Amino acid sequence: MKFVIQRDQLMDSVQNVMKAISSRTTIPILTGLKIEARHDGIKLTGSDSDISIESFIPKEEDGIVYVEQIEPGSIVLQAKYFPDIVRKLPQKTVEIEADDQLKVTIRSGGSEFHLNGQDADEYPQLPELHTEDSFELPTDLLKNLIKQTVFAVSTVETRPILTGVNMKLEDNHLNFIATDSHRLASRRIPLEKQTQHLNFSSVVIPGKSLNELNKILEDKQDSVEISVTENQILFRTKHINFLSRLLDGNYPETSRLIPEQSKTIVYGTTKELLQSIDRASLLAKESRNNVVRLQTKEKDQIEISSNSPEVGNVVEELSAKSIEGEDLKISFSAKYMMDALKAIDNEQVKIEFTGAMRPFIIRPIDNDQILQLILPVRTY
Amino acid sequence: MSKWYPKKGRVIFHVDMNSFYASVEAAYDPKLKGKPIAVAGNPEERRGIIVTSSYEARAKGVKTTMPLWEARRLCPELIVMRPNFERYRAASKEMFKILSEITPNVQPVSIDEGYMDITECQDLGSPLEIAANIQNRIANELDLPCSIGIAPNKFLAKMASDMKKPMGITVLRKRDLPKKLWPLKVEEMYGVGSKTAEKLNGINVHTIEDLVSTDVYQLKRLLGINGERLKNRAIGIDPSPVDPDAVYDFKSIGSSETLPNDTVEETEIKRLFRNLARNVARRLKRKQAVGRSVQIMIRFHDRRTITRSVKLPNYLEDEDEIFAVSNDLFEQNWNGDPIRLLGITIQDVAEKKEIAHQLDLFTYEQEASKEGLYKAIDKLNEKYGKSTFIKLNSNQEDNQPRTSFQKDFLDDYKK
Repeated sequence: MKFVIQRDQLMDSVQNVMKAISSRTTIPILTGLKIEARHDGIKLTGSDSDISIESFIPKEEDGIVYVEQIEPGSIVLQAKYFPDIVRKLPQKTVEIEADDQLKVTIRSGGSEFHLNGQDADEYPQLPELHTEDSFELPTDLLKNLIKQTVFAVSTVETRPILTGVNMKLEDNHLNFIATDSHRLASRRIPLEKQTQHLNFSSVVIPGKSLNELNKILEDKQDSVEISVTENQILFRTKHINFLSRLLDGNYPETSRLIPEQSKTIVYGTTKELLQSIDRASLLAKESRNNVVRLQTKEKDQIEISSNSPEVGNVVEELSAKSIEGEDLKISFSAKYMMDALKAIDNEQVKIEFTGAMRPFIIRPIDNDQILQLILPVRTY
Repeated sequence: MSKWYPKKGRVIFHVDMNSFYASVEAAYDPKLKGKPIAVAGNPEERRGIIVTSSYEARAKGVKTTMPLWEARRLCPELIVMRPNFERYRAASKEMFKILSEITPNVQPVSIDEGYMDITECQDLGSPLEIAANIQNRIANELDLPCSIGIAPNKFLAKMASDMKKPMGITVLRKRDLPKKLWPLKVEEMYGVGSKTAEKLNGINVHTIEDLVSTDVYQLKRLLGINGERLKNRAIGIDPSPVDPDAVYDFKSIGSSETLPNDTVEETEIKRLFRNLARNVARRLKRKQAVGRSVQIMIRFHDRRTITRSVKLPNYLEDEDEIFAVSNDLFEQNWNGDPIRLLGITIQDVAEKKEIAHQLDLFTYEQEASKEGLYKAIDKLNEKYGKSTFIKLNSNQEDNQPRTSFQKDFLDDYKK
């Protein structure tokens, strides 16, 4: 195997596949990065058996040549050293060559590294997914779906299914839902094309996979093709295949847990509310709970306050656009509230409360595609 | 009276009950008086060790922590009893009640000893009179002996109470130190354990006097900051206050137990974990506390001991939760070697009233059903003040502490 490649292109690809490589894996060869030289370009693969990422660098694209002097072949290199070597090489181009003895030579300018490689035949084959069961989404929309929900997944394994985001297909709408049982984030979008042909209706994608995917995807209009099988999901862009295992088990039915009626509705400016809670949480952060209190006042005023006995307290009033319904006093996690407000993606926000011990709902004022729900805290 | 009190400085008592458990037993059954008695945990099993013994038994060489068989060999007529923590706790509570009638500045240290700061008690008489009064009341009302040390600080008071037992009252003033304190062996000093004593002996410090004459830098090099503290104490300096609330400073609550036999049986291990979780949950409940970190301890047959802990996103207090987390930790960390002892400790403990309870999407309905009640309580609290309502602890009986090492009961005398 041999090829000469643009260092920057190689570096980007290496960084992408590194997202899947973990030094703590039960299959030793997965600590390595697979390089495959083909006549049409170079394919890199990284995997931790939960997530697998393939990144392809074409020989040439739009008239720009990225790879030259390709002699096909493949090799697995230690992921611990390879990325740093590539990053620090002196020249714009890199020559990589592997011999029959699995010795790899990396040359750039006057620098020459010799690394021991591993046999690529020992690297597990990634499953080929049927692509019939697939649909497409614009990349930036997919990134939004992820960003607006994935933060709410559970970080503990007590209920493993909650560490994932539930992707649901119903009535030609795609729904992303995440909850750690203390808050819930959901985003719903209409699908343009008919989706009758799709076989899945509800799958659960590990939150970690979506976080990594979001980092790799570039914010652009190009589309991502999404294919789902029984236990895996593939996200495919022009040069990247991102394959993730799905979580086993049934995602809890959350829709019935979302209150349909409300007793108090607060309309406000997202940014003002966010900043106010951010300030109140400055003191709350010190205490163990990070809890702030919201109280409705006369004349459409809201009071945000926080009290940490050892530190001090803060009270702040802000004007709501309007307040409808009963008076309310409620305490909640400042962090959850800030996460939710950041995901709202609208200047104006509508918050619907049903009482101090019941979940409340935060939505953009004029659409119900985004729904953030938070369970309050009860102070003992 | 004020001539008995220093113009600057404090008057501190250390009240130390004499062979407390054995004395309580003798007070319950006067026939036991004058006989060698010992209280031992689980007399039948191998972990049966002497917890405490009467002075008659001590005269024959019976010592605390001695295995039972050895004690029986030294003193064949030894009367061995299982501990009745219920009784000890009741006696302890009465004892602290008597102390707290003198001054609110009482710091319980364990079930049978505590400090008092009587600097402000000039109206009640001289320190000696107050001490005699306390000793008499405890003897008359509870039929229990105690020794009292009187000194300008806690350390000296503690050393003083140790000097005459049983039923002693010892005054230790700074000017008495060269005669009364310094000739003692360094390991008799409170705060010097066997390890520290060994180190000190290594640099030729054998008596407290040797310690006093040793350079403070040398001590610091040997023992760190504790070296300096020990030397200060030896020359009569101990600024630590009598803190009635010290007992409330709890950062962790734990429970551990030795298995009757080293085991690899998972059912047995699970059963023990279940017991430990129940214990810890009970004690959290007593404290009205919750915790966020769970630590387990595994001691193997060869005494090798590991601890593993996990920090949780949420506070827990439930037996089932504690059990589940501990069991998970265990399964992740057990290598299959035979196990001698297991322990569960809840760390990051906070009082419930300090923390908020995060409601859960899947269970909030249960709590929300009480919303009306909470609202009513809130309103009444607003009207009449914070403590209009207290939540009653159900089944008090079940909440009693089970071991001598728990300090939970020390707040009871205030109830």
